[in-house]
Amino acid sequence: MTDSGQPVHDVRQLLSGTRHLACGTDIDDLLEQAADGHAGQLTDHQRGCPACQAALQEFSRVWAPVRSLAAEHVAVPAALKTAVASQIRKLVADVWCTLQLSDGGAIRIAGRVVATIAREAARNVPGVRVAFGRSASSTAATPAERTTLRRRHPQAAAGVLGRTAVVDLAIAAHYGSRLDAIAYEVQQRAIAELRAKAGLQNVTVNVTVDDVIT
Amino acid sequence: MAAEIDDAYLVQRAREGYVDAYAELVDRHGQLAYRVALRLLGNHHDAEDVAQEALVAAWQQLPGFKANSRFSTWLYQIVTRKTLNRITRTRATQSLDLLGDIAATDDEPARQTERDLTAAAVTAAVAALPPPQRIAIVLRHFEGLSNAEIARITESTIPAVRSHLFRGRRTLSQTLGQWR
Repeated sequence: MTDSGQPVHDVRQLLSGTRHLACGTDIDDLLEQAADGHAGQLTDHQRGCPACQAALQEFSRVWAPVRSLAAEHVAVPAALKTAVASQIRKLVADVWCTLQLSDGGAIRIAGRVVATIAREAARNVPGVRVAFGRSASSTAATPAERTTLRRRHPQAAAGVLGRTAVVDLAIAAHYGSRLDAIAYEVQQRAIAELRAKAGLQNVTVNVTVDDVIT
Repeated sequence: MAAEIDDAYLVQRAREGYVDAYAELVDRHGQLAYRVALRLLGNHHDAEDVAQEALVAAWQQLPGFKANSRFSTWLYQIVTRKTLNRITRTRATQSLDLLGDIAATDDEPARQTERDLTAAAVTAAVAALPPPQRIAIVLRHFEGLSNAEIARITESTIPAVRSHLFRGRRTLSQTLGQWR
């Protein structure tokens, strides 16, 4: 029933006239209650009021497809994460380790690849909950990068580091673990992996335990 | 079971230049960015573009991120802004591409088709709302946020959010009431 006192079961009628039902209830409050999925949670007044119950039923019926769509799982496009990572890599000033220089050209490995090798080595150490790596040579490489970027030759940016790599690893460990022992193990494994997988000779790995996870 | 690494830790590491910490945040919240953009824009192509723009912008703006905020709230803000820019530039599309995103089920084909049509009708009805009402409706009724959270995300006030919700709900109800 609206103010006219007639029962109304059609949503367009309910919403086209006054803002209140004959009982004084605000129609928008009922609509909100139904849209939120709380139409079954009747107040004391609503339990004894057929007009409120009819309106709630009608709003619930109309909003059922909205609530159903809202509950649908939305699958993220597979390419989204890759595209974001690719754009961010372009934004990050990177350093390069030159492994070999010959008449045939240079062989280089990006600092982020070096950091990834170290990170993965760290993640396999028992007690490590999470590990993040970054190439720490960016300070040394910055002047060279700035110069080469100005010349628009980013690929030549930092062949200045030779076979030396400095990697920072930040790790979070399980609470209760022996932190210094874990950090030492992380350091040794990362160094070994960088030598074995990237052919780097002078490797420094700084390990910071900056969180414990309970 | 070990506790989840919290977002604040990842944000802090990402701000220090650990790109893979940000990759973890993208893993966690990429769906939020895409889902909101999809509900607001109504088609996959634009939603993917906007989600990508928003996630890259969030990386760039990390130095300005306030430590007392939640990363997800901040990301909602960036996604809705990017979406608004897109709507303003192109005018809202009423594409029904959302049909392609509905997971296939074992339901009989006729029932599935009916569900697809219903989803398409809801998507079109939401996409036809004026942007402020659309944002309020999507954040409240699709994302389940409170009016206070929506006000924070949209840098608005709670009464303004309530007003957009009232109008949005009425319009949506009338549209869907006609269709049913």
